[in-house]
Amino acid sequence: MISFKKALTALAVGSALATTGAVAQNKPIEIQMWMGLTGLGGETLTKYGEEFNKMQNEYKVTVSFKGQYPEQRAAAVAAFRAGNPPHIMQMFDAGSGDMMGARNAIVPVSDVFKRASIAFDPKDFIAPARGYYGVKDGSLLSMPFNVSTSVLFYNKDAFKKAGLDPNKPPATWPDLITAAKKIRSTNAANCGFTTTWLAWIQLEQFGARHNLSLGTQANGRGGVNSELNFASNPAFVKQVQTLVDMQKDKSFDYKGRSNDASASFQNGECAMITQSSGAMGGYVRDAKFDWGVAPLPYWPDAKGAPYATTVGGASLWVFNAPNRSAAEFRGVAKFLDYLRSTPVMIDWAKTTGFLPATNAAFDYLTREGYYAQNPRAAVAIGTLASGKQGEHTGGYRFGRWTEIRDFYHEEVEKALQGKQTAKEAIENAQKRGNAALRAFEKTAVASN
Amino acid sequence: MQRRVIFNNKLLPYLLLAPQLAVTLVFFFWPAGQAVYMSVLQQDAFGQSVTFVGLDNFKEVLSDPDYRATLWRTIIFSSAVAIFALVPALLFAVMAERVVRGATFYRTVLVLPYAIAPAVAGVLWLFMFSPSIGIVAYGLKKLGVDWNPKLDGDDAMILVIIAAAWKQISYNFLFFLAGLQSIPKALLEAASIDGAGEWRKFRTIIFPLLSPTTFFLLVVNIVYAFFDTYGIIDTVTSGGPAKATEILVYKVYYDGVIALNLGSSAAQSVILMAIVIVLTAIQFRYVEKKVHY
Repeated sequence: MISFKKALTALAVGSALATTGAVAQNKPIEIQMWMGLTGLGGETLTKYGEEFNKMQNEYKVTVSFKGQYPEQRAAAVAAFRAGNPPHIMQMFDAGSGDMMGARNAIVPVSDVFKRASIAFDPKDFIAPARGYYGVKDGSLLSMPFNVSTSVLFYNKDAFKKAGLDPNKPPATWPDLITAAKKIRSTNAANCGFTTTWLAWIQLEQFGARHNLSLGTQANGRGGVNSELNFASNPAFVKQVQTLVDMQKDKSFDYKGRSNDASASFQNGECAMITQSSGAMGGYVRDAKFDWGVAPLPYWPDAKGAPYATTVGGASLWVFNAPNRSAAEFRGVAKFLDYLRSTPVMIDWAKTTGFLPATNAAFDYLTREGYYAQNPRAAVAIGTLASGKQGEHTGGYRFGRWTEIRDFYHEEVEKALQGKQTAKEAIENAQKRGNAALRAFEKTAVASN
Repeated sequence: MQRRVIFNNKLLPYLLLAPQLAVTLVFFFWPAGQAVYMSVLQQDAFGQSVTFVGLDNFKEVLSDPDYRATLWRTIIFSSAVAIFALVPALLFAVMAERVVRGATFYRTVLVLPYAIAPAVAGVLWLFMFSPSIGIVAYGLKKLGVDWNPKLDGDDAMILVIIAAAWKQISYNFLFFLAGLQSIPKALLEAASIDGAGEWRKFRTIIFPLLSPTTFFLLVVNIVYAFFDTYGIIDTVTSGGPAKATEILVYKVYYDGVIALNLGSSAAQSVILMAIVIVLTAIQFRYVEKKVHY
């Protein structure tokens, strides 16, 4: 019996020693970050995590890829329900409404910095991003990181072949239609124009460019009881009708959802593409022809147009969880502080083609003459930040928007197939979208 | 001396069964139970507000015209996949059985696709038929076919059916080949002596004797088309364009994982489970009676 007691004591002392040993060794605190970026962007972001780890030894950041934004979001939601979400999650623009509807699941980044006593002024971020990810009192819920907007890329070689001026890209939709028809009639390319991110560009960015309302309650920013109202505006119907008409002679050719159409610009099949400015890095590397960038076209008959385009890309959200320690949150704040630092932001913008998220980085790049030397990179920042701001250019915030975007995709696809009119497509998208918003409102209100 | 081994231990059979039972419990009954439980709840994505709603989710799903359209689409898809996976497999098996030289080589090559993961098979076909970069799409364009599965729903459906059936042909081929090899040669020789041609031998001897295999494969193929084709559909079309290739299992995934509408997704998976149980029961109850063993 004595020996048993002895053994027990030895064990207790031993484990106590082991614990102190661990403390003395100062094992770094693990910080998990999940991202949804692939390719160049993903590699660069991973590199920032490694650099941060080399700079200090208190925290160890692991940046991991968990699938593209929608899949990654699903994985994070599942991890949250299991009580162990990542510390930081990169979430694309469309998911913002859902995140804001689940306020207990996240800690606003302004609070994260405050708790860590690190100075954080939301005004340091460029105004469009600040407006998109902020709340009424001016604080930020998530930290803008990879900021993009929508622009028009065009193939200068195809323009020359069609007898168009390669230095005069179409500024308006009528110009674009004329150019696309010319490209088809001269057979300079198999398709005149295509688009990636159908809903993001032809609905959301289109709305901002013409200062049109998507929904009530200031486009959902005023509350979850917002109702979509874009169908009451004939401009959205006209835009779909334009695509349907152009599809007939391939002056527009639909090439699929999300980024699917990008390949058909890159291989020269389509001479023009409306696309995220974040695609620039890829085209610089892979496109084997001379190309240019122009602002997103607009309808000149729309009142006051063109307005500024709105923010796309993604921001960084901090998850809350019952087992999270104050030290972990401090580590999160320090890493976010590193990511928003001017050298990182400058490197990010130059490497990937995304826009700098902070004013300091933007000012630096401007002073350095980066935009003067890279006019193609200047276009996006021009339409986003220097464009005319209106009531509806500051972005939207709707729950279940990922799903609602797909309603729009499906209905417009049906219109392009000739199974319904453009008007029906827009009306159905709005009707189904509103049903999803009402379901979201039920659960969002209940969780507050 | 006793010739049969008798175990007196009452516990042993259960112990021997335990691993299999544990696997079934953990990987089938537990998730199935979770699905049933979640199908009567309405909740937000993060599980912070959970309310019991009874059968509301089921009512909503069953009254949704989109859901009924998906059901109909699933029936077409599954029948097409089963037919296009069974008929060529049978043809290949009959051919491979007749080959003498290099038989092993042919058989190996025919079985290979089965070793490919659904998602990879999907990507293969996606690339070949991709309107912008695909080699088959290029050929079709040369022939004057306006091929665009990104926009044309029928093109997309044809593409996923081909990809799904192609992957299953190998599996069916293996079973048909085994079935063919177990047909007594004496019967076929007798038929030959009586002057029966190849087609007649196939129709009156081979096919009826293969019926247990065919029946088994029919069940397996339908279950395959219902569930296992998810990976192919996700990589090739993601259910689009305009839902043209969204089958029931894909809708469960989309509504649950992408749209985070968990209640509806759970209700759909319960319905799907019931459909497959009923389908399999019907097949065993009625179709099996017509099978010669």
